[in-house]
Amino acid sequence: MLLPRFDYYEPATLEEALRLLSEMGGNARVIAGGTDLLVRMKLKVEKPGYLISLRKIPGLDAIVRRENHGVTIGPAVTAAELSRNELLLDRFTPIALAAGRLGAPVVRNRATIGGNLVNARPAADLPPACMVLDATLKLKSFSNEREIPVGEFFRGPGQTVIEPNELLVSIFAPIPAPWTGGAYIKLGARKALEISMVNVAVILTLQSPQGPIIDAKIALGAVAPTPVRAFAAEEFLIGRQPSDDVFAQAGVIGVGMCEPITDHRGTMEYRCLMIETLTSRALRQAYEKALTWKP
Amino acid sequence: MGDYRVLNTRAPRVDAVAKATGQAKYADDFSMPGMLHAAILQSPVAHARILHIDTSKAKKLAGVKAVVTSREAGLIKYGVSPARYDETLFAHDKVRYVGDEIAAVAAFDQATAQEALSLIKVDYEELPAVFDMFEAMKEGAPQIHAEFPGNMNAEVHQEFGDTEAALASCDYVVNHTFLNKRQDAAFIEPHSCLAVFDPSGRLTLYTSTQVPHYVMRTVAMTLQIPVGNVRVVKPYVGGGFGPKCEATPLEMSCGLLAKITGKPVKMTYTREQVFLHSRARHQFFAEMSLGVMKDGTMVALKNKAVLDGGAYTSFGIATVYYSGSLLGGPYKLRSMKYDGYRVYTNKPACGAQRGHGGVAHRACFEQLIDMTAEKIGMDPIEMRLKNIMTTGDMTVNELDMSSLGMKECIETIKAGSDWDNKKGKLPRGKGIGMACGFFVSGAGYPIYRSDTYHSTVVIKLSEDGGVANVLTGSAEIGQGSDTTMAMIAAETLGIPLDNVRVYSGDTDYSVDLGAYSSRQTLMTGHATKQAAEEIRNKIALYLSEELDVPVASITFSDGIVKFDGGAGNFDKLRTNYIKEHRGWTDPPSGEYLTFREAARLAYLKAGTIVGTGKYKPPKLGGSYKGAAVGTSPAYGCSAQIVEVSVDLETGQITIDAMTDAHDCGLAINRTSVEGQMQGSLSMGLGECLFEQVKFDSRGRIINPSLGEYKIPTALDMPKVKSIIVESNEPNGPYGAKEVGEGAIMPTIPAILNAIYDATGVRVNELPVTSERLFMTLKKKAEEA
Ligand SMILES: Cc1cc2nc3c(=O)[nH]c(=O)nc-3n(C[C@H](O)[C@H](O)[C@H](O)COP(=O)(O)OP(=O)(O)OC[C@H]3O[C@@H](n4cnc5c(N)ncnc54)[C@H](O)[C@@H]3O)c2cc1C
Repeated sequence: MLLPRFDYYEPATLEEALRLLSEMGGNARVIAGGTDLLVRMKLKVEKPGYLISLRKIPGLDAIVRRENHGVTIGPAVTAAELSRNELLLDRFTPIALAAGRLGAPVVRNRATIGGNLVNARPAADLPPACMVLDATLKLKSFSNEREIPVGEFFRGPGQTVIEPNELLVSIFAPIPAPWTGGAYIKLGARKALEISMVNVAVILTLQSPQGPIIDAKIALGAVAPTPVRAFAAEEFLIGRQPSDDVFAQAGVIGVGMCEPITDHRGTMEYRCLMIETLTSRALRQAYEKALTWKP
Repeated sequence: MGDYRVLNTRAPRVDAVAKATGQAKYADDFSMPGMLHAAILQSPVAHARILHIDTSKAKKLAGVKAVVTSREAGLIKYGVSPARYDETLFAHDKVRYVGDEIAAVAAFDQATAQEALSLIKVDYEELPAVFDMFEAMKEGAPQIHAEFPGNMNAEVHQEFGDTEAALASCDYVVNHTFLNKRQDAAFIEPHSCLAVFDPSGRLTLYTSTQVPHYVMRTVAMTLQIPVGNVRVVKPYVGGGFGPKCEATPLEMSCGLLAKITGKPVKMTYTREQVFLHSRARHQFFAEMSLGVMKDGTMVALKNKAVLDGGAYTSFGIATVYYSGSLLGGPYKLRSMKYDGYRVYTNKPACGAQRGHGGVAHRACFEQLIDMTAEKIGMDPIEMRLKNIMTTGDMTVNELDMSSLGMKECIETIKAGSDWDNKKGKLPRGKGIGMACGFFVSGAGYPIYRSDTYHSTVVIKLSEDGGVANVLTGSAEIGQGSDTTMAMIAAETLGIPLDNVRVYSGDTDYSVDLGAYSSRQTLMTGHATKQAAEEIRNKIALYLSEELDVPVASITFSDGIVKFDGGAGNFDKLRTNYIKEHRGWTDPPSGEYLTFREAARLAYLKAGTIVGTGKYKPPKLGGSYKGAAVGTSPAYGCSAQIVEVSVDLETGQITIDAMTDAHDCGLAINRTSVEGQMQGSLSMGLGECLFEQVKFDSRGRIINPSLGEYKIPTALDMPKVKSIIVESNEPNGPYGAKEVGEGAIMPTIPAILNAIYDATGVRVNELPVTSERLFMTLKKKAEEA
């Protein structure tokens, strides 16, 4: 399969990239790992006249700890990097776990978090993980800059609020409270190189190892046109003592938030049943992780 | 087994360095000055009459050198077996599936060729289409080929003994049905071909195929070139598994366009086109009844098959025979009845794929045996052993098990997997299962009726005496046949493997039917051995005359010649040789005469030393209709035990371990045998758990990519314990027989039997996705 013709730019500064974007407008695409974009271009679903690479712009591929309040992740950080970062594994567990389940090693070495978010596939791995961690996305254009909570970023399959002249320049997530644990579970047909039939990210915060639950966040992927938070299930959990029974009930409530479809990968009925099972399973895993929390 | 110097070792493959360093060239790597790029126009609709084709705009596009349709190609019918030639290179009156070929173009570059395709205008009158095999058999269904009413492509009815009477006499009759799904072989290298037509009228195709010989014949026939003027060269091939066993529209189009333009023409299928061309595993529906006595003796098997053939026949005639004949063993039966139907539908044609015709029916049968064993309260291994065939047995359908280590295979996996401590003793969610199977070592007859040899081989010694050059038309497609032939030649000549070079895959070298039906080790192997023996005899005769010693006293091994097992007196020869090579820095030394000296001197006496070998099977099989399909000079067999974990809350299956034994006769190369065993397991695992070519309601493939068509990843494969069982096959070269396909036979039923052991539910439809298993479990729980 042949790629359509395009001109290729490798700006060396962020400013230069933003200027190119503002000049070329809708006819340009940012290219990070290219694992989504090049596939779509080969299928002729997209035919941008210009590609603007992020490769040479310094700093976009860094994970930076913000003292005691959070972490900033550059949009060009690869899934491979996310999956083995100690800080993320420890404090922002769903992101690291989700990144470790994305594709297979060759894909993870190229695929970036920015590409995964902007691409906005309903079944993508990183959006639910970013949602439970309350991440904020910084979008920049040549003349403007704004911050958007990740929960308000997605509009539909492949659709986000980002403007053609904007670049996603960083992702910030606040450090979760003490006694927090996180989990991520993905259900697909095989053990790697899978598109989720259902995926679920969870964060659970305990007042102390003895409970009760003081905060819970649950986000589900592949169950609606955009990843969704299971707010009702979260509210149900808050104030309760953690138990298998409580987690199971939260799973049942979680299903209510979803409107999965039937397609060739799975039926609506099975997906609903799995939302229930996997939500309670992820909650249990997050709870176990919370118990191992260390200052 | 014999005391071999080269055979039965783990010698590195002869192509290892070329492949590891990237020097190995595949068809798409070839390029020539002035080469044109071709592309094929394929039907976007599943069933339609073609009213008009307008190529005028495409022809006018700058850079386009030729546009061809059925008008240029003609309407010569071709196919695989002459009994059912039902294809023409390009559709002319009708298209019969999404992907049916209509036209081809050759242009300067691929982008121009693609643009030209978009300029060809075809007017269709859409016809109702039928995609389901059972629908296609119904009265009033859309008719796909006028010559085949009721969409019935082929029917087989065979009976051995009186099956109904035998079933009536049984203590138990157990029934089962089974449905697999259409597969894709998912080889890594898409079909690719470069065609060169030289001014003398000779066409050469460099093409990714398993069968240079059949491609040569079909292309010669359809393009109307004398068969001697077509040469097919197979470069390195990135896998075939069956679908590359026949000439493709890609090869014929390249040939035609090269003939018309006089320029080299190349084309490579996209992955989607590989799916559209298909010729992979059929969808089979199996319906079976097994009759047994209380003590576990198997008596009678009734077997029905319905095959979804797609729009054309391809290998389908053989396929529909195999689904019956390959259940004749490895268990003794008194009678067997088979009714098979292959049905046309408006989908890509299915053909042969690893385990040709046997895999789905074997899966049904081996489940049925477990169900029966359970019913009579017998361990499934015990029941199999009770009925097992051994060397020398003949099946009811007259397949001769000239060697059969089936019992040894079962016993060794039983011990190797700790079966006795696991079967029936694992917690819910964990299970163990087993199954057996057997397969041909080469089909007894060529695809077209002929007295041709199936394999001929020429070995030519280099005139310096140092190297044996093996020339064969056989096809190395990744399975290791070049290494096998090199090892057989080296062993027979008594020289080191390094001193053999194999030139293969070229119809100019020799006749060889190619890499299908697991035939080359046995058949090309025989011819190679015979050619090497002739050379050995020639040299021995020369030495005998020169030194006045009996031929029988001369032996060759490790590149050294011995006389009566010792050095003998060969001073005269060494002196001659050294005189011949005055000034050379590597005069032969040592106490023994070397093969190189002997071969050089023999050449000086008699000219170039050449040996030829040939093989064709003796007349095999019974005299009933279809008796030829399933016959083989030898049968390989295997048994497998699979251990699984099932996540009862999601239905997800993890294969924890596989223990696999295969009787391949003598293992020529032990590493290659294990490679085939493990490759078969992985392919069977994929078919069992994940793989399915899916269509939308208009007959378009939904998942024509390796992203969405799911073959197992490394993480899905369990630890495999491969145990080689070596019977001594009297009809095989050095006692060798097949491993390439037989090893896949037990995999699916062994997994299904293990899932049953883990969950108590029998799944009779593939693939066993987590959803299918979960829903089956749920239904069972609700019923209870
Ligand atoms: C074989 C394979 C397997 C895959 N498996 C998975 C999987 O398991 N899970 C999963 O979620 N995805 C999967 N994907 C999809 C893809 O790999 C991911 O979505 C990946 O994270 C995309 O990142 P990228 O850097 O390659 O994006 P690119 O392809 O470079 O870009 C994707 C889109 O994002 C835009 N973009 C990228 N960066 C920015 C930025 N900083 N600012 C603004 N716009 C930007 C691009 O313009 C483009 O529209 C798979 C893809 C392949 C080919």
